[in-house]
Amino acid sequence: MSGNKKTAGFEPKIVGFLCNWCSYAGADKAGTAQTPYPPNVHVVKVMCSGRVDPQFVMEAYENGADGVIILACHPGDCHYKEGNYRAVQRNRILKQLLSQFGIEEERCRLDYVSAGEGEKFVRVITEMVESVKRLGPLSVNKKRAAV
Amino acid sequence: MKIGVYFCNCGTNIADKIDPEKVKAAITALPDVAYFKTADFICSEDGKTFLEEDLKETRPDRVVIAACSPRDHENTFMRVLAKAGMNPYLMQMVNIREQVAWVTADNERAAQKAITAIRGAIARVRLHQPLEKKELEACPDALIIGAGPAGLKAALTLAEAGRKVVLVEKTPVIGGMPVRFEELFPNMECGPCMLESILGEVLHGDYAENIELLTLAEVVDVAGFYGNFIVKIRQNPRYVDTHQCIGCGECIAGCPASAKNEFNCGLNERKAIDFPFMGALPNAPSIDTATCVRWKGEECKVCKESCPMGEDVVNFEDREQILERNVGAVLLATGSSLYDCTAIPGLGYGKLPDVYTSLEFERILSSSGPTNGEVATANGTAPRSIAIIHCVGSLDPDHRHYCSGVCCQYAFKFNHLIESKLPQTKVYHFYKELVIPGKEGFSLYHHATENHNAELYRYEKIGSLKISAGTKGSKTIKNSSFGKETVTADMVILCPAMVPAAGSEQLGAMLEVSRDRFGFFEELHGRLDASQSKIKGVYLAGTCQAPMDIQKAMLQGMATAGYVLSGLAEGKKLEIEPITAAIDEERCAGCRICLSVCPYKAIGFDAEKKKSEVNAVLCHGCGTCVSGCPAGAITGNHFTNEEILAEIGGMLA
Repeated sequence: MSGNKKTAGFEPKIVGFLCNWCSYAGADKAGTAQTPYPPNVHVVKVMCSGRVDPQFVMEAYENGADGVIILACHPGDCHYKEGNYRAVQRNRILKQLLSQFGIEEERCRLDYVSAGEGEKFVRVITEMVESVKRLGPLSVNKKRAAV
Repeated sequence: MKIGVYFCNCGTNIADKIDPEKVKAAITALPDVAYFKTADFICSEDGKTFLEEDLKETRPDRVVIAACSPRDHENTFMRVLAKAGMNPYLMQMVNIREQVAWVTADNERAAQKAITAIRGAIARVRLHQPLEKKELEACPDALIIGAGPAGLKAALTLAEAGRKVVLVEKTPVIGGMPVRFEELFPNMECGPCMLESILGEVLHGDYAENIELLTLAEVVDVAGFYGNFIVKIRQNPRYVDTHQCIGCGECIAGCPASAKNEFNCGLNERKAIDFPFMGALPNAPSIDTATCVRWKGEECKVCKESCPMGEDVVNFEDREQILERNVGAVLLATGSSLYDCTAIPGLGYGKLPDVYTSLEFERILSSSGPTNGEVATANGTAPRSIAIIHCVGSLDPDHRHYCSGVCCQYAFKFNHLIESKLPQTKVYHFYKELVIPGKEGFSLYHHATENHNAELYRYEKIGSLKISAGTKGSKTIKNSSFGKETVTADMVILCPAMVPAAGSEQLGAMLEVSRDRFGFFEELHGRLDASQSKIKGVYLAGTCQAPMDIQKAMLQGMATAGYVLSGLAEGKKLEIEPITAAIDEERCAGCRICLSVCPYKAIGFDAEKKKSEVNAVLCHGCGTCVSGCPAGAITGNHFTNEEILAEIGGMLA
């Protein structure tokens, strides 16, 4: 479903769901270190990655996101004990659904970033932006459907 | 709707990277944005005054503050909103410093990213609801289960602060494990003597009236939640009135029946009416009905008749009672026991004579123990050599993964005591790893290693040690790893891993407190909240949470008391945070998926209505149930589906 023509200078829009305790703090840590990274990821803070409803991800694609990234606490470190495991479970099912829609797996990434991992946050975001850039724009969304 | 947007320049931190004018132009074009104001440091005293005054004057319906991370100043600004007479939840912060200005190379793209984020916040904040903290009456008193060091210290701490405490102890005596130890590491202090002051305070001290001590008692049911638990306690009969009994022991002498004394690990016998050991507190014996001949149909009343205090002290009519108590918090201090040494057959435990666990050896060393402190082999002679096996079942994936952290220390304490009782006896230590932490443990270790009677051998796995019968009642200990030593000893002492006390499983299930993979009660957080369980209002102290020494158990007892003192207070209502989940009864299909995903057991099921319901007191607001509900019947306050979807939509618009 994604565009075959990889637009030159394509800047993907990516929605990032960050849990309040680890990955949001990790993003702040990257901020404190003032390491620049691509500005393509727009952050939605949730209390826990377990709050990320698959419909949020679908809504993001539908509204023009080319990718979604869910960042959680590392396994065993969840502030709410096991919310990140629920996030993983839901993500696994979601990916099956996405493949049925023809949405590439790389457009939905789940990773773990702790509050101390500013550098990892930068790396994960940079990788995500690069991989979505390679895929090109996603055309399931309302706005691009007409194009 | 009137939405006010405040943009913090953060000096030059934000404004140098993100042009406020560019953002202003984009944001003020959005519907309902009444104004866009910039300030230099909204978090400063001047900035807060400006914000407060401005809010009072302009009276917006919703507020967006684009500034630093909400982790820095969300609470600061919420307080300003409250001071200005606004509900603090009608605000949304946008992190344009840590997550935009500081991390975006290009100014233009930084401004665009900030605009995107502010658009999301504006779309979201429209839907924000004014939320209020709820208040609930709470009982400031506590139930403590287990009267060992941790439970006793917690009880005293609370009692001294004027709190009522119900202290429930399963056995007839208080003091836990250390009252059975004649001497304690690291400084050879007498165990019962050390505890004497605390035991005395709990029983007869200035604050004893605040402590309701129930020995021979067990918690059989717990209902309710933090602030309002209703507990049912089964008080088993002692058949001796503790208030009238003077503890003279006259009743014991004539008693015709006896059985193995479990307090001495079955190494000697006790009478049907007896003290577990001399000096046990409360200072009154109890009748063991499994042993007493009256319960076998005989008309014996020797004990009753021999009591110098009268006929009422021994009371055969004493009956089990179920007591009900209301408490605000529950403190678990149920202690531990030892790993079953019969699970490691090569050690000969339970088969060979003179192979003892450390607890049995503690009783043998004790002057109130089965041998009155005399160390002798089964054939009645003093052992010429004693082998002490450290790490039994510890640091071993086949048995227990962890190190209990106390065994090396008591093993070197044994070394010291053996040396003083039997100066000619050789002591062989077999260890896997030596662990002697802290600032005091080294002295007993040095004492042992400098002692010419002591020899230390290392082994690799417990399976590489084989203990078998030697000649003349001796034991042969063969180490097939490292130095491959073979030594002969007349006595062997095993130092097994600490394991949770029997009954932890049932108690955990009753309170819905989870247990870790080793069976210890699981803490909320290993470092931040090691004394708190995952269930609000249920706290953990001592070895029921993890293996530890007396010092740590006492400290943890105080820590749990601290939670009660700060969380619950006379006349203080319990504040319930508004960011919790709520279930719409109409839409709930009763599938109970939410119950299975909630890590805090905060969701109950009304069997009559067939609906789930959230207990806001127990809910931590993670929202996992909200996304788990297939009927969409659960609302996550302040993180509703509508709010999050609006934020996504706003950002991508």
